[in-house]
Amino acid sequence: MLINISIEGLLYFGAISLSLIGLFGLLVSNNVFRMLLALVMFEAGANLILVLSGFRENGIAPIFLADYSGAIMNDPVPQALVLTAIVIGVGIQALALALILRVKKHYKSLDMRVIRSKLEHEIATQANVEPPGSHHAPKQIVRAGEHQ
Amino acid sequence: MNHLILLVVLPLLSAFIIPVVAKHSLTISRLIGPVVLVFILALVVLSWNSVGSNGFAIFLGGFLPPVGIVFYIDHFSLMLSGLIAGMLLIVWPWNSYVAPRQYSLYMLLTAASFGLVLSADLFNLYVFYELLAVATYGLIARQKNPAAAVAALRYLFVSATGSAMLLLGIAIIYTLTGTLNIAHLATMTDQLHGLAGLSAFALIVIGAGVKAEMFLLNTWVPEVYSTIETPLAALLAGLISKLATVLIIRVLLMLFQQSEVLQMLLVVGVFGVISGEMVAWRAKDMLRMLSFSSIAQLGMIFIAFSIAGEVGLWIGLAMMLHHLLVKGGLFLLADKMQGSFDNLRGYAKRSAMAVAIFIIFILSLLGIPPFPGFWIKLMLILNLAEQNNTLYHYAIGFILLATVIEAAYLFKLVRYLFQDEEAATIVSTPKSLTFWYAQIFALVLLVSLAFISPISNRLKDMASQVANPDIYINTILPSHLSGGNP
Repeated sequence: MLINISIEGLLYFGAISLSLIGLFGLLVSNNVFRMLLALVMFEAGANLILVLSGFRENGIAPIFLADYSGAIMNDPVPQALVLTAIVIGVGIQALALALILRVKKHYKSLDMRVIRSKLEHEIATQANVEPPGSHHAPKQIVRAGEHQ
Repeated sequence: MNHLILLVVLPLLSAFIIPVVAKHSLTISRLIGPVVLVFILALVVLSWNSVGSNGFAIFLGGFLPPVGIVFYIDHFSLMLSGLIAGMLLIVWPWNSYVAPRQYSLYMLLTAASFGLVLSADLFNLYVFYELLAVATYGLIARQKNPAAAVAALRYLFVSATGSAMLLLGIAIIYTLTGTLNIAHLATMTDQLHGLAGLSAFALIVIGAGVKAEMFLLNTWVPEVYSTIETPLAALLAGLISKLATVLIIRVLLMLFQQSEVLQMLLVVGVFGVISGEMVAWRAKDMLRMLSFSSIAQLGMIFIAFSIAGEVGLWIGLAMMLHHLLVKGGLFLLADKMQGSFDNLRGYAKRSAMAVAIFIIFILSLLGIPPFPGFWIKLMLILNLAEQNNTLYHYAIGFILLATVIEAAYLFKLVRYLFQDEEAATIVSTPKSLTFWYAQIFALVLLVSLAFISPISNRLKDMASQVANPDIYINTILPSHLSGGNP
């Protein structure tokens, strides 16, 4: 064998890459829905890393049976933990989807830049101060959003 | 003493009971929350003396650690629990038109806060942290204006990313040590001192830093605080941010007492102070100014905690309490004094009392003698100067610079308040409940002036108790299991 890669290392590589892709997506995408998908990927990556921490090569399922031979078992604790983390993650994703629906209904856009500039505008009008940026800037951004 | 588990159980139970009860009787469902909170407050006060200097542990289900789940209770966590119950009673939505679901969310928030303060298990901390986050998303999104939905969504993205990072940090710690019980981890800190351990700590700090308004993770702060109702902002800025700080402090004290880690906190704190004050200086309306200055204050707290040992801890604790009082009071006051600075012109004529309280708060915030803020800032600067590291000495300069900026914008606002021109829009004179609370906060601040030395002695005792990992380990793991996987 020229390259000696353990299956564990490969799995870790996959999990870490997945979370990095998710983080990258969160940072660069402007579409709110894509941001949510990236968040899902990032959480999946984190969950995989957590469950991998209990992984043993050639390990068997951690159930004590009568004919247990003393073989290596996978650690069950991370599996229990990751189940909790997945449930929490799903709940938050559903909540985020509901919020996205509300935002879309009110702002007629899914572009984070547009939504954010409108938000800034709204907060400024509510507080009765001039909107941030120059006099022309906010209008231009809003117009760019309407072309979509 | 095991009855203190009710701190988490009762609010959680009532959160689920409230919507059911509301179907039969709206009045009863409205009463459940305050009754539970008052009961818990009484419980905390009554058990204060029975908690010894060693603290004690509750083993859930009778399973002993490191297998079972543990709650750890000492004077520090009891004090925080009392503050949580008191603060929630203050911001409780007493108005009659609030939907019962909102009461549920408040009770969820309460349960999660108590859990965060009491839990001695990293994964449990993560679960309670997420529960807290979900409750706050709900409370923010339930506000009437649609802008709050956007603010909640943007907050959710930042916060959920942070939580996933927290989980990642916990996963790394589990991979390294095979346990998540903090006391058990504290017996094998040497396994955490490598690069992997440090990155785990960095991930945990980032995760909790989102709610602690840490530098670069605080983009949500101005949007959220200016779209939600001010009592809720007072709760988030005053209390929730402190709970996230407590999480960081527990992990820091028990597992990562290293100079690199402390310097990392110092740098983050300095950036927070400077950036917060600069942006607050440019703010043109009350709520934004308060939220940005809150970022700066949290940065100052991180600077305090970056001083090694008990000293840093007790200064940080004093700062936390002071900020809770002052910023909570200011946000409650802003319930009536909000809007642009132009709107507030000549406010002193309309309500001299509100302006007087406002000035007391900002004088203490700036650190003008004889207010408590002065003594805290003095102790911070004296102790920073004693450190044998130039980085800490630079921090003094930045703190003083930040104070000057802070003074510039706060006094500018005070000048507006005393200007004689009639305001463009009429703001109603404050006669609300929140204004009364703000008055009480100011009164507490003034009364604490007379008790500076007993209070600081109490905090010193508390700090020495918290800063000592041996007490923590001996209470939770009486048999003192030595390292190795369970």
